[in-house]
Amino acid sequence: MLEAARLQSALRQLPEGGVERQAVDAGEIDAVIDYANSNIIMFPLAQRALRDAAKGATAADRQPALKGPARNSVLAALPRADYERLLPGLEAVALKVGEVLHEEDVPIRYVYFLVDCVVSLLTRTEGQRTTATGIVGREGMVGMPLVYGVDASSVRAQVLAAGTAMRMSAERFRDQFRQSLPLQRELYRYAYVQLAQTRQAVACGRSHHTEQFLASMLLTISDRSGSQELLLTQETLADLLHARRESITVAATALRSGNLIRYSRGKVSIVRRKGLEAASCSCYKRIETLHAV
Amino acid sequence: MKRRSAKSKSRPAELTTVVVLRLYVAGGAPNSRQAIANLESICAEYLKDGHRLEVVDVLEDPRRAMAEGVLVTPSLTKLSPQPVAQVVGNLSDRKRVLLALGLKPDVA
Repeated sequence: MLEAARLQSALRQLPEGGVERQAVDAGEIDAVIDYANSNIIMFPLAQRALRDAAKGATAADRQPALKGPARNSVLAALPRADYERLLPGLEAVALKVGEVLHEEDVPIRYVYFLVDCVVSLLTRTEGQRTTATGIVGREGMVGMPLVYGVDASSVRAQVLAAGTAMRMSAERFRDQFRQSLPLQRELYRYAYVQLAQTRQAVACGRSHHTEQFLASMLLTISDRSGSQELLLTQETLADLLHARRESITVAATALRSGNLIRYSRGKVSIVRRKGLEAASCSCYKRIETLHAV
Repeated sequence: MKRRSAKSKSRPAELTTVVVLRLYVAGGAPNSRQAIANLESICAEYLKDGHRLEVVDVLEDPRRAMAEGVLVTPSLTKLSPQPVAQVVGNLSDRKRVLLALGLKPDVA
């Protein structure tokens, strides 16, 4: 009898309307015990996973459902046991542009491991005016104050490019962070990178032209989101670079006339990446090399 | 002497309930691994040291799985305290697992 037919026959032996059948329908079962033939029958997906494991495939290859969170660099760098301990507390959420994840001075309720979205960290300057002092993407986590033992954020964390993130309640995160040394190591490393990036950005804003700064910012956002198409209005870019809108228009026009970017209706497309890298200041390269720390 | 014996009688014996659990899995198959991770997380949060968990791999010991009436894996059985309870699947429904273990889920 073929494996599939044997599986069907074993499934028919399960109690009608029972919890076992419900779990099978939900895809939560790996194997059925076939009492008629004294045998264990594996579901095809589970069998494939075991075969891959035997071949020495990576954890991410074995578990297609876990590929999402593993695209976040912090989570991907964790040893399997630590990663799996985190998984039950992680919930996938779709984040929309403009959504505020953390507000200044408000206690943090969730931390976010970004998968394919970008979040800007905005610091208030005067009145309601803010300027970006950090960009977070799939390389990091939003909610770093908790790593430093601080409960509230000093910045507003706002979604810049829509996408998916894995979120975890602050309470649970504190617990996991205390227990997992590898998680501590990864987040301290990321904290260092973030601090170094902020320092570089401060130096960059003081010493380079808006055009170079804009090129660096577009490349950074593209790297963080993994996309060459960025939904950004000139107003957002002005806020990000703490520049006047007119200066952004001039800088964007220069990059467009060099055929490095296309720009229309709040959408920036990177046309020639190498050219844009050449137009950016050395700060972009320095910031990117920090990720190799 | 009398006083001492009276004192020792008045102190109640310490009673700690240990939850005894058995999780049946199929090697390192995805749902089985997920169930182990989910259960470990629940135990760490709610039961701390007050539990004993045995993981039985049905691929290594199919006879035992049959002797104990397991139908599918992953499958969790709470053996003690009574009543015996069972949850099947990858244990991602935290509330259902807590209920089966006789624990109250946190109020969100």
